[in-house]
Amino acid sequence: MSVAVNVSPNSTSLAASKRFAKSFKGIIFHKGWLAILMVLVIWQIISFFLGGRGLVPSPARTAATMWGVLASGEFFVQLGDSLVRLLIGFVLAMTLGMIVGVLMGSRWFWNEFFKDIVILGLSLPGLVYALLSVVIFGTKLLAPVMAILFASYPFIAVNIREGVKALDKDLLDMTQAYKIGKWKVVQQVIIPSLLPHILAAIRTGFTIAWKASVLTEVFGATSGIGYMIRFNFQMFAVRGILAWSLLFGGVMILIEYGILVPAERHFARWRPQILEEV
Amino acid sequence: MAATAVSVKDLVKCFGDLRVLDNVSFDVEESSLTTIVGFSGCGKSTLLNVLAGIETTTSGIAEVSSSKNLSARLGYVFQSPRLLPWLTIEQNLVFVRPDAVDEATHLERVHKYLEMVGLKNVRHKFPYQLSGGMQQRAGIARALCIEPAVLLMDEPFSHLDEITAGGMREEMLRIWQETRRTILFVTHDMQEAVELGDRLIMLDYHGRIFVDIKIDLPRPRNLTDRVFIEFYSDVVRHLQAMQTIRAEELAALGVS
Repeated sequence: MSVAVNVSPNSTSLAASKRFAKSFKGIIFHKGWLAILMVLVIWQIISFFLGGRGLVPSPARTAATMWGVLASGEFFVQLGDSLVRLLIGFVLAMTLGMIVGVLMGSRWFWNEFFKDIVILGLSLPGLVYALLSVVIFGTKLLAPVMAILFASYPFIAVNIREGVKALDKDLLDMTQAYKIGKWKVVQQVIIPSLLPHILAAIRTGFTIAWKASVLTEVFGATSGIGYMIRFNFQMFAVRGILAWSLLFGGVMILIEYGILVPAERHFARWRPQILEEV
Repeated sequence: MAATAVSVKDLVKCFGDLRVLDNVSFDVEESSLTTIVGFSGCGKSTLLNVLAGIETTTSGIAEVSSSKNLSARLGYVFQSPRLLPWLTIEQNLVFVRPDAVDEATHLERVHKYLEMVGLKNVRHKFPYQLSGGMQQRAGIARALCIEPAVLLMDEPFSHLDEITAGGMREEMLRIWQETRRTILFVTHDMQEAVELGDRLIMLDYHGRIFVDIKIDLPRPRNLTDRVFIEFYSDVVRHLQAMQTIRAEELAALGVS
């Protein structure tokens, strides 16, 4: 008996459109929307009672200000300034955090050497680094860069240290038995093993870096998102403070879902649990 | 007489104060399948690790050599497959390419051995997408694709259920007869050792050779054949003798 199998030429595109529909459905029915809706309702209720005194503007009026800031193009100019500072500081923090993390994870001496400094770094709030940087470096580029570097490197170092400690000795023994060259081991065994920890370090470190960067701009900068928040504060423009802060948050969410989550999905495609989560 | 593939002479391996291997000496002939048995902690795996260069010797010699012009010294099949989870099965095999072999030749070998172990169709899958038995077969293909002088196998089927392990043993024997690689096979399963090997080395609790016997049973071996049962019974008697000596030693030390 023969069985006719109908293979449609459009089956690939059909699968792709099904995937798109699924992810679109995922966005529409994303549980996070419910939480956002809840916050908006609470916000609306609070503004109804306190809005009269101009303390809490309504979500709709804040949205209008946000649109104004976006439409005028000012947001993108200020965001550009903030991003340059952030990227320089974050690259330095990643470099220092990786070096310290690798040393701490691989050698007992270096773990003991750096342990207390890193704990101190983790416990100090970003505000301290922001204030100190402004006092020392004034409004120069170095101020936010240093604040970002010292505020976020300990979080990166801790994540990387855990990754190095969790390296699978059995896999390293296997590479030794097969006489695999050191560089190849680094490229194909150590870095992929560390990737989940590197991504966690980027995510945590980046959040801390953003906060430190904006704080430094609040206290000592002549441009950037933090500067605009301070400017609105001085003008007692609550709507402006909220609009700039929310837009800043929006950029963070875009970076999370636009860069970090897809990167994590790509690098962790060999892990079944990640595929199920996504 | 066949050339020597593995030469171990007066080998001692200590971890701190603990002597794991004590004056172990033996030679292994090329193309033979030698099984090494003993209880947990008797130094079987350490012996393979020393030969593989994962562990250093405390004193003595552990050498692998070959009369054939082979690109690699040895391949190692571990207790767990130890595949890199972020690489596909094919990439895992490509990863172990010896420097002396060009990429195209190695890829040809990779396909040949994946075919041999029946995994060619799933070569683009990640390890987690395969069963435990298939992963172990990938581990065997990885060891074979470098065409080594000696194949070290450390209890490769101990994590598998008996039905899968039985099939894997048959498959391993077929591959061995096809490739005639020298195999050093470590196991704690006496029956497996007698079924597979043409020589059996038993290590005692002190990491010394207790018994070294030739298994001259005809192949294929049937576990229910009288000659197999008789030989296996002999091995078990050696094992019981070793246990008796151990019990006497512990009693002399006052340990019950």
